[in-house]
Amino acid sequence: MACEPNRVRLLCMLSLTFGFFIVEVVVSRITSSLAMLSDSFHMLSDVIALLVALVALRFAEKTQATNKNTFGWIRAEVMGALVNAVFLTALCFTIILEAIERFTEPNEIDSPYIVIGVGAAGLLVNLLGLCLFHGHAGGGHGHSHGGGGGGGHGHSHGGGGHSHGKKKTGKICKSEKPNSSSSETNTLVVVDHNSPNGVNAENRGYDFSKDGTELQTNGSPLYDDIDHSSAAQLNMRGVFLHVLGDALGSVIVVVNALIFTFVWQPCLPDEACLNPCINSHSTDHKHVNQTLVGLMDPGATRMAGPCWVLYMDPTLCVMMVGILLYTTYPLLKESALILLQTVPKQIDMHRLNEKLLCLEGVLAIHELHIWQLAGSRIIATAHIKCHDPTAYMDVAKRLKDFFHDEGIHATTIQPEFVTFSSDSRDSLCELSCRTQCAPKLCCGSADKAAEKKAASEADDGLREVSPATLEVISEDPEQAAALPLVVTPEPPAVPREVESSL
Amino acid sequence: MLPLSAKDDEYKPAKLNLLAKTSGWFRAILSDQTSRNLFFFLLLNLSFAFVELSYGIWSNSLGLISDSFHMFFDCTALLAGLAASVISRWRCNDSFSYGYVRAEVLAGFVNGLFLIFTAFFIFSEGVERALEPPDVHHDRLLPVSVAGLLVNLVGIFVFQHGGHGHSHGDDGGHGHSHSLFNGNANHKDSHTDSHGGHGHSHGGHGHSHGGHGHGGHGHGGHGHQDQALYSQDKFLPGKGSSKQILQGVFLHIVADTLGSVGVIISALLMQKYDLMIADPICSMLISLLIGVSVVPLLRESIGILMQRTPPPLDHALPECYQRVQQLQGVYNIQEPHFWTLCTDVYVGTLKLLVAPDADARWIQTQTHNIFTQVGVRQLYVQIDIAAM
Repeated sequence: MACEPNRVRLLCMLSLTFGFFIVEVVVSRITSSLAMLSDSFHMLSDVIALLVALVALRFAEKTQATNKNTFGWIRAEVMGALVNAVFLTALCFTIILEAIERFTEPNEIDSPYIVIGVGAAGLLVNLLGLCLFHGHAGGGHGHSHGGGGGGGHGHSHGGGGHSHGKKKTGKICKSEKPNSSSSETNTLVVVDHNSPNGVNAENRGYDFSKDGTELQTNGSPLYDDIDHSSAAQLNMRGVFLHVLGDALGSVIVVVNALIFTFVWQPCLPDEACLNPCINSHSTDHKHVNQTLVGLMDPGATRMAGPCWVLYMDPTLCVMMVGILLYTTYPLLKESALILLQTVPKQIDMHRLNEKLLCLEGVLAIHELHIWQLAGSRIIATAHIKCHDPTAYMDVAKRLKDFFHDEGIHATTIQPEFVTFSSDSRDSLCELSCRTQCAPKLCCGSADKAAEKKAASEADDGLREVSPATLEVISEDPEQAAALPLVVTPEPPAVPREVESSL
Repeated sequence: MLPLSAKDDEYKPAKLNLLAKTSGWFRAILSDQTSRNLFFFLLLNLSFAFVELSYGIWSNSLGLISDSFHMFFDCTALLAGLAASVISRWRCNDSFSYGYVRAEVLAGFVNGLFLIFTAFFIFSEGVERALEPPDVHHDRLLPVSVAGLLVNLVGIFVFQHGGHGHSHGDDGGHGHSHSLFNGNANHKDSHTDSHGGHGHSHGGHGHSHGGHGHGGHGHGGHGHQDQALYSQDKFLPGKGSSKQILQGVFLHIVADTLGSVGVIISALLMQKYDLMIADPICSMLISLLIGVSVVPLLRESIGILMQRTPPPLDHALPECYQRVQQLQGVYNIQEPHFWTLCTDVYVGTLKLLVAPDADARWIQTQTHNIFTQVGVRQLYVQIDIAAM
């Protein structure tokens, strides 16, 4: 997989940046330049960003489920991307603050040649980093290749950045374990989480060809590699943006210093000149004196160089912040949406619902939830109403295939059975998940409903062992009216139709 | 054509939407106590930051200007918390099948990250100042930082019990932090208080957790009793729902208070003992404190966002699995996944391998009951029938 080269690249870049940070600190101490010291702290934040990405990568390699993390650590990469994006945003804020300070109090650069030298070195390091991480920049996620039911596989083919990783001597990051849950059903697995949810992909020695479409035709174990790579893409994008920001910073430093050396005419210490751009209290007094002198002797005093040069620095900084924010925002939004448990954008819930209803044996669907774990690993849960257990066995297989076609490979379907065929009760949920939306709605009826559910649950706890509970769940209309368990799902179910105030 | 469903938005003119939206937002903010508190504190903070900024510009003091920027930064944290508390109450729709409730966890996490960044920034500034002590005019900084401290104390007072009291079922949980408001707010007090606050919230978890330990041992009676306790906690609206946001905001306010306190202390030290090194050392200490105090919030939000098994259920789940396996007809449990959606809302999925002659419905109801007792209200139980 592409983890190996990613890790190597990150380590490379990390060591380079850290070394450069040390160099900058030393140089700033030698030249006692405060600006260089603050720039070195920017480098340090870059090191931290790379470290975060590396940690996320290492964690995400442990895709096996543990007791505490039943999904494995695969989400770590999305988190790494989010952390990097947030750090970048915070950095942009700091830079804007510093730029505003410079606007109000511009100051000259003390030793421009050293600044040019160090800035150029930093630029080289960052350009190297850009080259290293460039393959991941495009963020080619969410391509669909039309295989199977309407576009929703979300594979990334990352501009070849990953396929050549796969060609490496067959050493693949994921351990070669047999894929025991190829279809997530009918597998005898012991409870102690040995082989979770299709996470341990079997790499049956595929020869990962350059053409990505070949990968798609195979079954689910492939998706682990692919979604690992597309999740890794998110992480690497964060790193790339960070390095880009630093490169832009170095560019600005160098450009500014160059302009300063060539355009600015400084005030030499032994000359009588005044600096009109810097208005501090001390020079104000001098200013008064000098103007008096100047009135008497025009042309004797020199003015320091054009003032706009001093304002170049903050202006360029503001522009850089604009560019950075513009490029960081999509990454931020995407990782935030994944963490918010959004339905992946390539899936249309309405259409999915309709198609599901068209399947034979499916009477109704409730509580359909689809969310993205990371990359293209999509998880769906639903309640399906069917006639009886035998009918359910047939439907189950069809449902699994349906979801596989849509690109969703981890599904949990809870069946609900009717005692007699009554279409009128189809919309009711027998074992309703007590939705979290209900208690948080403003209207009071939902609260009462929640309290009623609380009471009914307390009752159910007592009757745990008795088979009489079966009677409670009957679909008899007269009984249903008296039962909070069945009736109260209605009010919360209906407000779900109302859209949010988007 | 008559609008057939509430979703027929095209009949609304666009202009009306904006006004309706903003008034809708205001109503949403003012309806809930948490967001109301956040909103008013945000206004207070913002106005104070503006005052500080204008004073700094007028008196040309760079320290005041940078301090006011720091307050603006805090206001963004408050704004994020406010936005999250409003957003998390939106209803679920097509793209967000679980609704927006995760926004609060995300807001807490982002606030924590911002705090770490702030701590790092303060630390770096402290290092810079230690190496090159600038000429600081503390006579101007002192009165303003005292005023800032007062503003932050108001914030601590408002948010301390407002945040943690929620998860304990206190409805009017404001007037309890007497010790803090006595004015001797040196940072040690607020620090231990904030840790006590943490103890509060974890105690909240521990409360329900101990209850389940009981329910595991006994059978009918115990389970009933503890469940009643549990349901009291869980089913009141907004219960513990904004815990993450409030924790993040609270930590931010504490960080700002520590900053003001540090400035005051260092100013006093410098005036009395002429100890110029006090300023950077104070800053570094404060940044370390901030960093340390953020760690619990970060750990919790990271756990939730990584879909980790909910910590309160760590001990209860194996017992539940045992009970389910003892049900008649159940061969095995496969692929259990339990995760936290937002505070106190747990979602679980499970696959049961059952015998062909087993009563699927009965097994399902029993499983649901077992897990509802530990607090997992959203459970999806898939029944796989073993081939004979």
